[in-house]
Amino acid sequence: MPTVSVKWQKETFPGVEIDTSQPPYVFKCQLYDLTGVPPERQKIMVKGGLLKDDADWSTLGVKEGQKLMMMGTADEIVKAPEKGPVFMEDLPEEEQVVAVGHTAGLFNLGNTCYMNSTVQCLHSVPELKSALIKYPHSGRSNDLDQSSHLLTVATRDLFTELDKNVKAVAPMQFWLVLRKKYPQFGQLHNGSYMQQDAEECWTQLLYTLSLSLRSPSSSENSDTVKALFGIELVSRVHCQESGEESSETESVYALKCHISHEVNHLHEGLKHGLKSELEKASPSLGRSAIYLKDSCINGLPRYLTIQFVRFFWKRESNQKAKILRKVDYPVELDVYDLCSDDLRKKLEAPRKILRDEEGKKFGLKTNEKSTGSVGKDVKMKDAEGSSNGSGESSNAISQEGVQPEKEMHLTGIYDLVAVLTHKGRSADSGHYVAWVKQESGKWIQFDDDNPIPQREEDITKLSGGGDWHMAYMCMYKARLVPM
Amino acid sequence: MAPDPNSASGSGTTREEASVKVPAKDPKKKDEKKDEDLSEEDLALKQQLELYVERVQDTDPGLQKVALQSMRQEIRTSTSSMTSVPKPLKFLRPHYATLKAYYDTMTDSEVKKFLADILSVLAMTMTAGQRESLKYRLLGSEGDIGSWGHEYVRNLAGEIAQEYTKRQEEEACIDDLLELVQQVVAFYMKHNAEYEAVDLLMEVEDLGLLGNDVDRTNNKRLGDHVDHTNNKRTCVYLTNVARYLPGPDDMLVLDIAYSIHLKFEEYPSALQIALFLDNMQYVEKVFIACDDLVRKKQFCYILARQGITYELRKEMVADDADRETLQEIVNNTKLSEGYLTLARDIEVMEPKSPEDVYKAHLLDGRASAGASIDSARQNLAVTFVNAFVNAGFGQDKLMTSPSEASSGGSSGNWLFKNKEHGKASAAASLGMILLWDVDSGLSQLDKYFHSNDNHVLAGAFLGVGIVNCGIKNECHPALALLADSINKGDSSVRIGAIMGLGLAYAGSKNEEIRSKLTPILEDDKASLDVIAFTAISLGLVYVGSCNEEVAQAIINALRDRSESELGEPLTRLLPLGLGLLYLRKQESVEAAAQVSKTFNEKIRKYCDMTLISCAYAGTGNVLKVQHLLDQCAQDPEKGESHQGPAVLGIAMVAMAEELGLEMAIRSLEHLLLCREQNIRRAVPLALGLLCISNPKVNVVDTLSRLSHDTDTEVAMAAVISLGLIGAGTNNARIAGMLRNLSSYYYKEATILFCVRISQGLVHLGKGLLTLAPYHSERFLLSPTALAGIITLLHACLDVKAIILGKYHYVLYFLVLAIQPRMLLTVDENLKPLSVPVRVGQAVDVVGQAGQPKTITGFQTHSTPVLLAAGDRAELATEKYIPLSPILEGFVILKENPDYREDN
Repeated sequence: MPTVSVKWQKETFPGVEIDTSQPPYVFKCQLYDLTGVPPERQKIMVKGGLLKDDADWSTLGVKEGQKLMMMGTADEIVKAPEKGPVFMEDLPEEEQVVAVGHTAGLFNLGNTCYMNSTVQCLHSVPELKSALIKYPHSGRSNDLDQSSHLLTVATRDLFTELDKNVKAVAPMQFWLVLRKKYPQFGQLHNGSYMQQDAEECWTQLLYTLSLSLRSPSSSENSDTVKALFGIELVSRVHCQESGEESSETESVYALKCHISHEVNHLHEGLKHGLKSELEKASPSLGRSAIYLKDSCINGLPRYLTIQFVRFFWKRESNQKAKILRKVDYPVELDVYDLCSDDLRKKLEAPRKILRDEEGKKFGLKTNEKSTGSVGKDVKMKDAEGSSNGSGESSNAISQEGVQPEKEMHLTGIYDLVAVLTHKGRSADSGHYVAWVKQESGKWIQFDDDNPIPQREEDITKLSGGGDWHMAYMCMYKARLVPM
Repeated sequence: MAPDPNSASGSGTTREEASVKVPAKDPKKKDEKKDEDLSEEDLALKQQLELYVERVQDTDPGLQKVALQSMRQEIRTSTSSMTSVPKPLKFLRPHYATLKAYYDTMTDSEVKKFLADILSVLAMTMTAGQRESLKYRLLGSEGDIGSWGHEYVRNLAGEIAQEYTKRQEEEACIDDLLELVQQVVAFYMKHNAEYEAVDLLMEVEDLGLLGNDVDRTNNKRLGDHVDHTNNKRTCVYLTNVARYLPGPDDMLVLDIAYSIHLKFEEYPSALQIALFLDNMQYVEKVFIACDDLVRKKQFCYILARQGITYELRKEMVADDADRETLQEIVNNTKLSEGYLTLARDIEVMEPKSPEDVYKAHLLDGRASAGASIDSARQNLAVTFVNAFVNAGFGQDKLMTSPSEASSGGSSGNWLFKNKEHGKASAAASLGMILLWDVDSGLSQLDKYFHSNDNHVLAGAFLGVGIVNCGIKNECHPALALLADSINKGDSSVRIGAIMGLGLAYAGSKNEEIRSKLTPILEDDKASLDVIAFTAISLGLVYVGSCNEEVAQAIINALRDRSESELGEPLTRLLPLGLGLLYLRKQESVEAAAQVSKTFNEKIRKYCDMTLISCAYAGTGNVLKVQHLLDQCAQDPEKGESHQGPAVLGIAMVAMAEELGLEMAIRSLEHLLLCREQNIRRAVPLALGLLCISNPKVNVVDTLSRLSHDTDTEVAMAAVISLGLIGAGTNNARIAGMLRNLSSYYYKEATILFCVRISQGLVHLGKGLLTLAPYHSERFLLSPTALAGIITLLHACLDVKAIILGKYHYVLYFLVLAIQPRMLLTVDENLKPLSVPVRVGQAVDVVGQAGQPKTITGFQTHSTPVLLAAGDRAELATEKYIPLSPILEGFVILKENPDYREDN
């Protein structure tokens, strides 16, 4: 009957007697009493071997005072959870998009960055996306030409493609159709396609979409594109010589920000852009005279597009030259003082609500307002938390779709959502890049096939004044309040 | 009247000579002026000496003798200081030729010998290269050599060395020289010039013509002169000079140092040399020679740090109980305890989560994007980071959370957040967290043993190996638990068990493991990965053993591979396993290298490079470095990949000492200019090996540059190497770089994985651990640690296939090199004892006069303390005497009996 000492975890049990006439199982039961580990869970190590239940003590040669080691716990055995976690690597690609947090990039098909960046900017408008999805697949209305139809379909397909993929997409079909519809984009230079003006692409594309997305059913307010982007301008045309005065209205898709020596800020540029001189025949004078055209906004869109008029035709070099002047633009734009009196009256009430809302927040947490992003996060949570909450957040609108439009009112205050920048010295050269704010509030720089996350403070640094990327088009989203 | 004209002519000639000489020395002064310049005293001396010169040439031997003796007197009294040429020598110099001429005419007599002595001294001032000083010394009276002053001896020693070389060429007799050497050495050793004595002895023993016997007598000579005052300085010089000597002289020199240490009872130093020589008989001798139990405990700590398996025998420690205590120290069973003592003292016991290491909040928004869905790869990275950061602490936030008791399965939860083979690494990471703590480690791993998931089981086996890494236990738990599983189950379970055995028994040369593992190599049915890991495990267990049976088994396994298998990434582990058998064994590799030449050409060169680099690892052998560089310079034929191991080999060979290391860093940067991607990919890894756990600024910069390389594999290797050089340092600069890289590569999951691993490595053990295989002031190299690192590096030669594939657990090979970078002082009963110590940058004091400070820029701390690379500690109190001259790891302190508390 040798006695051994058994080590288990940090404890040592000295003087455990082994009855060598009994099988080791008996010994294990002895240990069960000491440790509480059931015999079948015990692993007893004897000189580099495991003690088997049916082993023969005599062959093991256990000596008096020998140390044995026991391993085993009474713990619960680890079981695999019923449902294993889902790994990103296993997901189909469209689901990975959610995890990545932004949509795909677009491959450059040879100087097509102007097109890519335009598409990326417009892709960030959820209302446009939903309108495109509603666009009928086959049937096209009679007043629409075939190529416009195809371009619309291609746009729709490309938008869905972008939403589905993580890896960059090649906009082959769209590119083909765009060239077909607008042959000027198919210009060749030395055998390759030329760089084009992104603004032209933007305008043409929107124009086509405005034609095709006109719903045939209802007559009024059916132009989706116009509802989203259209800006109503009312202008007073005035001739100083004759004192003639007339007024006209027009609808444009973008405000122009003229850049002159006095312009340092977007606001000044816009004011500048709303005043123009034109020469036309004066009925009273019987000759052409200089008329001053003074416009103001009479109807605001959901998405305010602003074009920085950075390019001008330079006769001597025979190219569209660029003005590199730095023009600052804000993340939050207030166009109130550009509006007509009628519109201002309409805006008064919603603006007051917004101010109150903000004042409340300001009063509660003064520091929130200082950093824009933090403040917005809170707002977003508010919006999600209470259905009748502040509602000025971008999220609320996109989720609730078009219906609450009637309850939502414009305030004249806009938030920056997309910037299309140009880098280089002329419109037909250089590089276009889109900087788009995602629904998550993060900014992504879409440099062709390469989406790069950016910080919001870097977005406003694209204001020009050097050879870095500078804003060419800006898209602002209206801040709405429910009433 | 004969002497008069003689003297007149003599003085005449001397004056001429003097006048010729003076303009040469100082052309502006005329000789008259020179005479005027002399003070009256000097003038008198000059005239006196000139008179002696005349007298020497007198016919009367009595007068001659008196003149010589006076001359000798003058010289001796003035040669005491050697700040300038002594006046008597200066004045006698012009008469050298006269005296020489006169000497030749003399008949043999005592006087002639006297004159020879004088001439020998004068020759020192004459043109070099003639070795006339030596010539006349040998012809002279052979009196006390030191009586002529230090400078004379030094000059003589130089001439002896030259003469020796010349005579060696002519194969002439050298006995007279050796006799002189004897005298010179005796003088040097008495006068604090041990280094010169050693140099001279090495100079004359240099060529093998003398053979060992004569060397031995010379050793004895040196040994005879060594006494209590100079033995330390002599040995320090011997051991340090050994690094720059070609074999086999280096071994010989160390041998001498060992015997001197032993003679003067400097046992710890003797033990260190014995370990350096890897000579177990010497180790045993130290134990037998010493009869102090406490000192023997210290020896055991030194053995434990080296990481060798060593069984104490009865002759070494007579008492059974004592032997058991000592064996426990050798078995490293107290390592975990000591490490935790350190951790508690530094107050870093709180578990750290991988997020604490990533510090994503310091980055701008991009890195934290989209955490909603688990990515298997990123979770795996989290698993490794968690394992590295909390290594050895016994607690973490993922695997061993305290909530285990309450919910009973939260650790299971994290385990199952890993995918397939990732679960193996996750389960094994528990072993890493409980590193060295065999008792709790095994009980915590126990729950995985009952899993029916093969990957979890494999991880559990691997975890057992990791927990036992470097710890020996007489119950052999690893063998008991793993032995049965190496042959059954699917290949992942087998690999887990095999690798676990390799880690647990690395360096043990355990016969039982061999008999269990070698059959796998011969098994036709075993898959390639099983065979590859078996070869590595065998290589680790038999590291540096030159075991022929294992070698044969691996060679056969290599021969049996089919052409396509030889192209597999994992096949590289087979030659490496073979190479590990010969780690640092230099020439012993020849036989295996010959055999490797008969391999399939696909693997032949690869094998050759691996074998050479392993065999000469840590030797600093310049010829091998050149050979390997040469291999890199050649344009490889298509499909050859041997240049990767060649580049790693450069680092392995050159890592021995600082100078070679710096040179290797420079050569490696040149290699970056190569077109060959195989080379470029290996360069960062080689840099990582050279500076492991030692972030040198220039290397950090190079790697940082390479981490943005266009070739992703170069970038990945650079990222991993950044982790290696910063391993366990918490280096803020590297941590910042990696953080930026994590945001730079946030989209590239594969590189991001490498970045994460490196982040974990930098914070290895929360900065308490090191991966450096060198220890004891960079003198000793732990073979198992080096083997672990190079195994990982070889695996990293194909990062994509191995680390990013399903064999990521090769990262756990690093565990072999993990050691606490601490100084923990204990009392005679091995209880921690806090004493003030000064920790500072080590200064190289080898060969310096006097007793220079050994550290600079030090700070005073209380033990336990952390030691960074290149740091050295010394006790800041007289109250205790350390039992080891090198204050690293565990050091036993003895109370100083002479200490008096002063207030």
